[in-house]
Amino acid sequence: MMNQKVLVIGAVAAGTKTAAKLKRENPNFDITVITKDEYISYAGCGLPYYIGGVIEEKKELVVKTPEDFKLITGIDVLINHEAIDIDKENKKVKVKVLATGEVKDFHYDKLVIATGASPFVPPIEGIDLERVFTLRRVEDALAIREAVESGEIKKAVVVGGGFIGLETAENLFDRNIEVSIVELAPHILPGFDEEIALYAQNYMTEKGVNILTSEKVVSIKGKGKVEKVVTDKREIEADLVIMSVGVKPNVGLAKKLGIEIGTTRAIKVNQHMETNIPDVYAVGDCAETTNLITGKPAWYPMGSTANKMGRVAGINMNDPEEKDSLKGVLGTTVVKLFGLNAAKTGLSERDAKKEGYDVVSVIVPGNDKAHYYPGYRMIITKLIADKNTHKVLGAQVIGEGVVDKPIDIIATAITLGAKVEDLEKLDLAYAPPFSMAMATTIVAANVLLNKLKGKIETISPVQLKDKLDEVVVLDVRDEASNMICSIPGCINIYSEELSMKAEELDKNKETVLVCKIGKNAYLSYLQLKEMGFKNVKVLEGGMAAYPYKTE
Amino acid sequence: MAEINLNCKGLQCPGPIMQVFKTAKEAKSGDVINVKVTDRGFAKDIQAWCKKTGNELLELNEGETEISAKIKVK
Repeated sequence: MMNQKVLVIGAVAAGTKTAAKLKRENPNFDITVITKDEYISYAGCGLPYYIGGVIEEKKELVVKTPEDFKLITGIDVLINHEAIDIDKENKKVKVKVLATGEVKDFHYDKLVIATGASPFVPPIEGIDLERVFTLRRVEDALAIREAVESGEIKKAVVVGGGFIGLETAENLFDRNIEVSIVELAPHILPGFDEEIALYAQNYMTEKGVNILTSEKVVSIKGKGKVEKVVTDKREIEADLVIMSVGVKPNVGLAKKLGIEIGTTRAIKVNQHMETNIPDVYAVGDCAETTNLITGKPAWYPMGSTANKMGRVAGINMNDPEEKDSLKGVLGTTVVKLFGLNAAKTGLSERDAKKEGYDVVSVIVPGNDKAHYYPGYRMIITKLIADKNTHKVLGAQVIGEGVVDKPIDIIATAITLGAKVEDLEKLDLAYAPPFSMAMATTIVAANVLLNKLKGKIETISPVQLKDKLDEVVVLDVRDEASNMICSIPGCINIYSEELSMKAEELDKNKETVLVCKIGKNAYLSYLQLKEMGFKNVKVLEGGMAAYPYKTE
Repeated sequence: MAEINLNCKGLQCPGPIMQVFKTAKEAKSGDVINVKVTDRGFAKDIQAWCKKTGNELLELNEGETEISAKIKVK
């Protein structure tokens, strides 16, 4: 039998992974990878750091050249080769060689679509002006860095407050450029819940980044080069604009082949990475997957998922009976913004409610190391669960400390179907330089269970903000702390003096207890309950996690 | 004029700011408080507190593992 021919279209993460894995499974496959780009197997997620100079040279970004790849795997990668059409009947792909314009036919027995995703570019006036960029490919990063290093960029506008936008904003800021971020949604980090996202937003604002939310970019103005960005609220001067309003899956070629497109608008594949057409697989950012919690189709264009998909496809293409599978993902992500780290897994509270879950959540600050071990940092955990089944639905962790460990613990727990009770009893590594004796994840589970069992009633920051006029806010911190920063309209009684002074308060009025992180407020809660207060609640996360107006 | 050394390392809640507040209350005008702290929120807190109370922040060092401040009592 002749060696089977495999054609892979796309050569960043998923395409090269599929090819390399298949070759390792069975060296007899005759594999060719084509890409319309010049660079292969590059670190797309590293591009913002190249602009900032954290990554010094281009070669550090490009994991492998086609020559390296050939040498290691024996697979040919043809760059600047664009697949333009597919003849399904005869299993032939028409490929245009971009350098010469020549069109060639590539026959295949098996085909892999790994065409990735492209930045969404809104059709607004001025989008074609010089120094208006998207950031997706190596070429984009090279051009942006060149502009930055020309010394002509004093002010930049980043449109979109997602990961790439925020990371790029940080890197431009570190180059002494005045940076404004314009976000259409009410807060940056659209996948996160409001309190956590606003925490990040406040942090970046304090660093000196100008963040404008609920604001729409209408047009970009300039003569040749960009000069200003016009929004529905103002005009912002800009020598550089980064459009980072999201990406869309590249499915044009798949459509020509008649491949089914899913509800997420990415290519529909089963757990084995097979499309609806025999011998055609799809992997990476162009393909959808399943949300492990809801069981619904989901599209998470992430390098971590792309690599897993590639491995699955490689294994199954060699032996379809092996049926290796990717059951789905949780949408686990993490981002660094200056000194702040933010991570998320599973459903946000907002998404969980949208999916119809009866949601219960808590916000619990803690430390990433023992509080007496020098160098510890605060991290805030938001834990989200189903009120009826107690199953963990999601979490968000933010702070200057280590956040990827707790989020990975929770991601693992959710994958294995954990309930809050399971999380609470996990045996986690402990020594003072690594964790609190009761790790933040465990404490968050403790608080959530207290809430589920009715041992404590809490109010979230967003709920409190909306009813500040209706409740008594009782700050039980010491006088000095209260003086520095407090919730507008609060009463201050130090927790140690509560038993003497609380009798003066109205026991029937809804009272919200506030302290630094929530612990003293909980102790005060028990005290007030004992004293006969009817309607007492603890502000989740205390002042540490309250992202709204203080005085 | 006295120099008062205050070790507030490991203190979180109630935080070191309360110790500084108490110490300043008992100190004489012109006394200097040297405080060492591990709670990260302290840097912001002490600046705000000095501004509001009129005590003078002579020094603030934010190290990787420790924050130290020198405050002249009003």
